[in-house]
Amino acid sequence: MSVWLSAIVYGLSTSAILFLVSIALSVGYGLMRIVNLEAMLYYSLGAYLTYTLVSATGSMWLGALSGVLVGAALGFLVETQLLRRVYGKNMLFSMVTTFSVYLIGIGLIQYVWGLNPKPVASPTDTMLRFLGVAIPLYRVMIIGIAGITYIGFQLFLNRTIVGKAIRAGIENRDHVQALGINIYRIFTLTFVLASGLAGLGGALNAPLIMVGPYMGNDMLLYAFTTVILGGLGSLKGTFVSALILGQVISIGGTIWSPLSFVGPFFVMFTVLIFKPNGLFGVKGIAFGFDQ
Amino acid sequence: MARRTNEWILPFLFTGGLILARYLFPSKMTFITEVALYSLYVMGNNILFGYLGYVSFGQPVYLSMGAYSAAIYLAYLGRSPLTAILVAILMGILVGVLMGPVLIRLRGSYFTLVNAAFCAIGLFTVERLLIGITRGNDGLWFRTRMVATPLLDIRQPRNFFFFAMFMLLVVFLLYRRMDRSVLGAAFKATQGNERRMQFMGYDTFKIRWLGFVLATILSTLSGSLYAINFGFVNPNLGENSRAAEVIVATLLGGSGTVYGPFFGAITFLGIKEIVSQWITRWELLVGVLTILVLFKFNRGVWGTFMDLLKRSRKTVVLQNKTL
Amino acid sequence: MNGYESMEQGNTPILRIQNLYSGYGNLKVLFDISMDVYPGEVVCLVGRNGAGKTTLFRTLAGFLKPFSGEILFKQRNLVGEFPFEIALYGLKYVHQDKQVFSDLTVKENLELASYATKDYDWDRVFAYLPKLKVLLQRKAGLLSGGEKQMLLIAMALLGKPSLVLMDEPTEGLAPHLIQDLTQVFKEIRKETTLCIVEQNLPMVTQIADKVYSMKEGKIVAETTNPEEIRALVFEKYL
Repeated sequence: MSVWLSAIVYGLSTSAILFLVSIALSVGYGLMRIVNLEAMLYYSLGAYLTYTLVSATGSMWLGALSGVLVGAALGFLVETQLLRRVYGKNMLFSMVTTFSVYLIGIGLIQYVWGLNPKPVASPTDTMLRFLGVAIPLYRVMIIGIAGITYIGFQLFLNRTIVGKAIRAGIENRDHVQALGINIYRIFTLTFVLASGLAGLGGALNAPLIMVGPYMGNDMLLYAFTTVILGGLGSLKGTFVSALILGQVISIGGTIWSPLSFVGPFFVMFTVLIFKPNGLFGVKGIAFGFDQ
Repeated sequence: MARRTNEWILPFLFTGGLILARYLFPSKMTFITEVALYSLYVMGNNILFGYLGYVSFGQPVYLSMGAYSAAIYLAYLGRSPLTAILVAILMGILVGVLMGPVLIRLRGSYFTLVNAAFCAIGLFTVERLLIGITRGNDGLWFRTRMVATPLLDIRQPRNFFFFAMFMLLVVFLLYRRMDRSVLGAAFKATQGNERRMQFMGYDTFKIRWLGFVLATILSTLSGSLYAINFGFVNPNLGENSRAAEVIVATLLGGSGTVYGPFFGAITFLGIKEIVSQWITRWELLVGVLTILVLFKFNRGVWGTFMDLLKRSRKTVVLQNKTL
Repeated sequence: MNGYESMEQGNTPILRIQNLYSGYGNLKVLFDISMDVYPGEVVCLVGRNGAGKTTLFRTLAGFLKPFSGEILFKQRNLVGEFPFEIALYGLKYVHQDKQVFSDLTVKENLELASYATKDYDWDRVFAYLPKLKVLLQRKAGLLSGGEKQMLLIAMALLGKPSLVLMDEPTEGLAPHLIQDLTQVFKEIRKETTLCIVEQNLPMVTQIADKVYSMKEGKIVAETTNPEEIRALVFEKYL
């Protein structure tokens, strides 16, 4: 019993990180038809900055903050300088461009921090006792942060006019512009938000995994899987999908170790057969080149 | 047109050029061999990308599959390198035929991602799942098990070089044939306007399937040659991070053309060779290069060359008319 | 965003298009288009499918960059401006696709239109389109075709535009709805200039002050004479 409870909590915290990082991809494609693979760079940088700040000041939360800010700032740069030029072009452009940015980023990370993995101490080693099982407080905190983020984002999208404009833009960018709304500013804002969240995901994940130059590679696959499973452009989809895959990774991994790695892909493949647009795919968005 | 009828000479010209280069720069023989092998791999990706319009972030898995099929055959089952190559080709056919229908159904980024996932799974399989057979990261050695091949003992690097040149030439000629035939046109037409192709009565699903199979075969063939050349394989060939490289090489050379992949291979490997002597931060370069190529030279080396040729011909024709 | 130009001020055209060439990439669609629209006019564009009418509207609204030519709207050259800027200058474009933001409610759709133009005077708009008042809480995706069209017109009217471009508003609507729409246009025209692409000939004869006829990317006829309009519209199609 305790094994399963541990696994569930572990899965939930994995879901939390997946969710934070995947928002960048979901929203990037949903709103701007951009495949922004360089979000993995914000993720990695979030983790590395956390490492540096924890080593220097011992404060993990400072690290998390810097992860968010740097992610947002970089996202701003990338969106305004690079992505502006590929809007409207074949999706391949954005995919390969952003992936190149990611690669350049890895190169720079290696230059600054070197090749060796960096361990990051978690801010608290306290264990909570729940139903007779020891659960790391830190993981619970991560779950809490992700939950708050989700609620906050939902409120933003549903209650504020800018959020509604984003939802409208996901459906039809041209119509939003035709109303007189500066869609480019909305793109930038959305992109900055999502990039910051990816950075946060990296920062929060730093104590849980090995911080290495290639940490983005694995996360890329999982994030992409999460987004496709959930359906593009749907916040709820990304959330639910992250929940599911987190459990697949943890509980699946408990049953049979390789499952933690390949499980998510199989789930994605299976769902795609029945729902090619993902669980909550937003109407009008197909994830293909030809529309 | 004058150029068309002489164009069959190009495969011989380019292969001959490589042979010449090998004698002019004997120390670079390994590099030149790799150019030939990599060209095959890029030609495979070119069918997917240039002809059919599919972006795959998982090509290394097919390369790796070819390498490991040959390796496992040579390590446990047989001894003839030629048979091993055949095994790899068969593997390519098998995977192409079985996985093809599943994969080509996916459009755009779905295809890209699923291939990437496939690549990750493949890597995991050879690294950990089947470690008993593949020896994981230690690599699988079989050099000593190979026996000499008739006519030319390709176990010797000097001889393997010629074998590689021969394979390159054969594939060039076949590739060229494909491009100039209805099949090549069908590939491109399906990419451009699938509806219309269907309207004309073509089964575009089968066309794309066939393209996928051919691409896979070229990749596995290339992989098997890599394996035999080294005498061993390890999971590095199939790493996800290498997926970008083949795309860059395809773009560099000029996608959708017959000789583009060849030039892409030369350019890419050449730059890698030169640059890695100065910097070890490999990824940085690939990234910068890709952006440059995408934005500035999106016709690639060969593509730009052909454009220039077309343009210069047009001016000649015009001049003739005014005279 | 003052849209209350009256017919009396009609000496300078509110929209003047001069020698416009436009198209998509290598494909040339519009050739040497020149048009004048005076304030308070209702101008109709007729022509076969593929004649270039939608391309013209998209170019005017800023979604397509013309190859050459001038678009003067209230003496301002629109070429090169972003669509959202053009909308804020007072030129609104109602697309042909009849798409509203289906995930949002009618009220939220209108809020978006108001947000951009800072025009929250919904009563003015409801005066023309009273049916929308009861539909406010409904998800826009659940509206009928006619209701969606009404919503799109309402959204276009917010901001008091000087000129509204409407691309085939009656397409796919039942006859009684077309009648309703015609009535709505007759009301709206009192406060804003209209330029409508239409295939529905009876409606054109009812409301058009001026008709341009397009064929294969060129303007082939222009008239303000009611008799000629009737003849032209029927002749070109029979």
